[in-house]
Amino acid sequence: MSIPAALMTGPTVLEPVVGKTDEMIVNLGPQHPATHGVLQIVLGVDGERVTRAVPHIGFLHRNHEKIEESRSYAQVIPYLDRMDYVSGLQNELPYCLAVEDLAGLEVPERAKYIRTAMFEFNRIISHLVWVGTYMLDLGAITPFLYAFRDREMALDIIERTTGGRMLPNYFTFGGVRRDVHPKFWQDLLDFLDYFEKVVPEYETLTVDAPVFQARSVGVGLLSQELAVNHGISGPNLRASGVAHDLRKDQPYDAYPELDFSVITRDEGDVWARSKVRMDEIYQSIDLIRQCAELAPRSGPYLARGRVKIEAGEQRYRAAEISRGQLGVYIHSDGGTGPYRSKHRSPSFVNLQIIPDLFIGQKFSDVIAILGSIDIVLGEVDR
Amino acid sequence: MALSSDKRSQLKRIPIPEDRHFKPQLVGYNPKTPNRLAEVLAHSLLYFVFVGLLLLIYGVLPWLFKLPGSPLASGGSFTTTGAVLYGILAAVLSFLVAAVAALILILVLRKYLGLVQNRYGPMHNGPAGAFQTIADAVKMVAKEDFVPGKADALVFTLAPLMVFVSAFLLLTIIPFAPGWVLANLNVGLLFIVAAGTIGAYGVLVGGWSINNKFGLLGGLRAAAQLVSYEIPLSISLLTVAVWVGSLNLMDIVEAQKLWWTAIPLLISAAVYLIASLAEIKMTPFDLPEAESELVAGFNTEYSGMRFGFFFVAEFAELFLLPAIAVVLFFGGYYQPLAGFWDFADVLRGLGAEGSTLNQFGGLLASAYGMLWFLLKTALLSYLVIWVRATLPRFRDDQLMELCWKVLIPLSLIGLAVAVILRLVFK
Amino acid sequence: MNLITEAAKALRDIGKGMAVVSRAAEKGKHTNLYPFEMPEIPPVSCQSLALIIEADGTDRCVSCLACEKVCPSQVITIERTRNPEGKGFVLERFDIDLVNCMYCAACVEACPVSAIVTIQDFELSTYDLQTLKADKAFLDEQGRRAKQWYSPKLGVEYRNEQGEIQVAPLEQQPGGEAELLKQADKESDN
Repeated sequence: MSIPAALMTGPTVLEPVVGKTDEMIVNLGPQHPATHGVLQIVLGVDGERVTRAVPHIGFLHRNHEKIEESRSYAQVIPYLDRMDYVSGLQNELPYCLAVEDLAGLEVPERAKYIRTAMFEFNRIISHLVWVGTYMLDLGAITPFLYAFRDREMALDIIERTTGGRMLPNYFTFGGVRRDVHPKFWQDLLDFLDYFEKVVPEYETLTVDAPVFQARSVGVGLLSQELAVNHGISGPNLRASGVAHDLRKDQPYDAYPELDFSVITRDEGDVWARSKVRMDEIYQSIDLIRQCAELAPRSGPYLARGRVKIEAGEQRYRAAEISRGQLGVYIHSDGGTGPYRSKHRSPSFVNLQIIPDLFIGQKFSDVIAILGSIDIVLGEVDR
Repeated sequence: MALSSDKRSQLKRIPIPEDRHFKPQLVGYNPKTPNRLAEVLAHSLLYFVFVGLLLLIYGVLPWLFKLPGSPLASGGSFTTTGAVLYGILAAVLSFLVAAVAALILILVLRKYLGLVQNRYGPMHNGPAGAFQTIADAVKMVAKEDFVPGKADALVFTLAPLMVFVSAFLLLTIIPFAPGWVLANLNVGLLFIVAAGTIGAYGVLVGGWSINNKFGLLGGLRAAAQLVSYEIPLSISLLTVAVWVGSLNLMDIVEAQKLWWTAIPLLISAAVYLIASLAEIKMTPFDLPEAESELVAGFNTEYSGMRFGFFFVAEFAELFLLPAIAVVLFFGGYYQPLAGFWDFADVLRGLGAEGSTLNQFGGLLASAYGMLWFLLKTALLSYLVIWVRATLPRFRDDQLMELCWKVLIPLSLIGLAVAVILRLVFK
Repeated sequence: MNLITEAAKALRDIGKGMAVVSRAAEKGKHTNLYPFEMPEIPPVSCQSLALIIEADGTDRCVSCLACEKVCPSQVITIERTRNPEGKGFVLERFDIDLVNCMYCAACVEACPVSAIVTIQDFELSTYDLQTLKADKAFLDEQGRRAKQWYSPKLGVEYRNEQGEIQVAPLEQQPGGEAELLKQADKESDN
């Protein structure tokens, strides 16, 4: 697969190619219902067939990495929530892991389980948003409202402990910012008991539905080779048959103690990506149950300590968030904050396959593929 | 760190007003949690009441004109004045029926979607939101009459009218009750095909005229979809003509007094229902509008009343295509198994032959038939709404595949079945 | 034959989906009719910030500048002068720019005396953004109006009917479960 010439030069305006049939240049976004934010894709279409695709990003650029350089280590955390605003809690973890490593903080056992349960709970929330918006892309409005109905309940549980719904600012160096709500574990288990009965309904409306299968099976094939070469991660990679999951490969927090296996599928199409996410919802339910069982109910939730990092120390830590592998690189100059902070955000990397997957597809499939990659523009542009 | 205090003190400082918080006006708020199912049913009742009332006027009108001593009729037929007056009134009425049915169906659709999607739907305008569509209609009429600069103004103006006229032309030939039909055409079935096709042109040229790429794609999709689905639709109409032996809709209904056409012609009925879903342009066949792909498809640049015409036409079709299905396949205004025992016959038998009571009984019998007609139409419309609430949309090539590879062969099989059955049984 | 079974399966699956949709009505409604029905927001939820004045009318704030230093958005401005009559400082000015504030509650974490707290009054919409450049009067008013608030040092507090400030029972406090378990352990030891 060669890189399209247009991508190399990156013009904002494509010139239509006039030949046997005229090419039409369509601006998909930045204001378009299916781009999940402010992504612009300049498409060349021949009838319904896409001939060229050039993504343009940066409409939501907020200079996170540079801002973080002028903040102290603790002040960075609320900014991390705002990268991938759909799974805010998950964004905080790799940064906390990196700083803990550098500052030599040991996380208490109880905090590890709280963090892991919250992390997996946020994965459910994030995948619910994906189910809803993806079905909206495909033209079904009802699953969207079901997904957001259940997401509201889940967010309520998060809010009762963290004080925030989407931007919780909860994880911190050496544990979590405050102890959990007294009914936290019970709330979680009650919700999961309810939710476990609802997930089959989502499956009936999505991956098991004939019209959905017609739209997704065999569409947007992402080969194993292409996925690995582009550095794709998360459910998109696992749907292409690569069993790569940082929760298994580089376990952090309480994951070493939990019993689970990496979910993969070999098809690599839109349907497989959807099915992997559906199965991950079940997996998260199971993981949270294990956490609730194993977590100590009392004990310290935070290892308090001074974050003092020597000059020249650097660290890269990554975690498997719902969209893939979120990495954080911190370089210290001995000051109160990071000298350089870099985020390896999964959506940004996953977005790179757009030209490869789009060309030659139908216009409707372009929307289906874009939705199945599950990007969040806040994290792409940072 | 923070803003310098000099700069801070220069900022305009306003004391907190006492009413800083938004104080809701408790107008139209019912503190009781509404029973949403009851609301949906109540709105469905609105449908029967208002559409039924209009159809009643529609049916009683010629009878009123022909009352003894009326200057508008002589010897059982209209005078010239009467014919002209009747023509005008009937046109206005059929417009009203289509528009009112559309408005109420929009309301029912919204409330039903609210019910199945765990929310309320419209609830603030009128009791349980009953006036919401009226408010929307008023809003649309009140909007600026706007033509985009690069649009083809003439075509832009005509397109919504073509769609709308095609929708309510269909109404003129539908028999709602025994004898209640505006135009008892002998080529009724052909008229359905002819009038329905005008709408496809409207959508195509509408999408093209707005000079918008999404509109163009939507218009072309609409043209391909509507023209393709005309074929299975027309063939299923043809099967009915073959089976009944007439193109006249009244004859077709009369032939179903005992058995619905849908029983021998099950395949054709199914094909008709699926194809009419595509003609209505509702999910899973809403590709021309496809709001997540084509922004709003062919009506991207339309606003105000022109958009309202497209919108009302779509919902008028949601009433009309099921109505045609009822006439052709589901026994029209006859109650089920009317061949064995029909309550309408009881009503017709009231009083002595020719007495006022007898005439009134005849009217009642017609109204009874109309109620059955409305009930069947409503059930089919609700089926469409239910499907719309469930399914995602097809891709354009799958849509074409479904039409050309599944529905057209099926409709041809249905035609063969009709021919064989006709040869065997009649 | 294969085609027919496939078609039948597709129809059955579509029917299943339609059944799911129609059955969902039984799950009831999940919409809050805001502003008619106000949502119940947990006391730890950070919707806005307030300064707390004790029941006897004295400020809790000791002008230590901890919140100003820790604020990631740098929206807090405090001016203080030395108290001429004794120890400590006199608070001249306490401003929070609630427009640029990101409600991370870092100031609440930092406050050593639980003077600045998170409250659940989320209705900050206004026609004039300048009204959200909160000064001390504004924050005091928010504190007086709040029914309950949270700060890490003292936990969830609420104002009772007499206007006195009370700490909420352990069942409502973050970490209450752990505390209750500790107490239960002590009792069982005794």
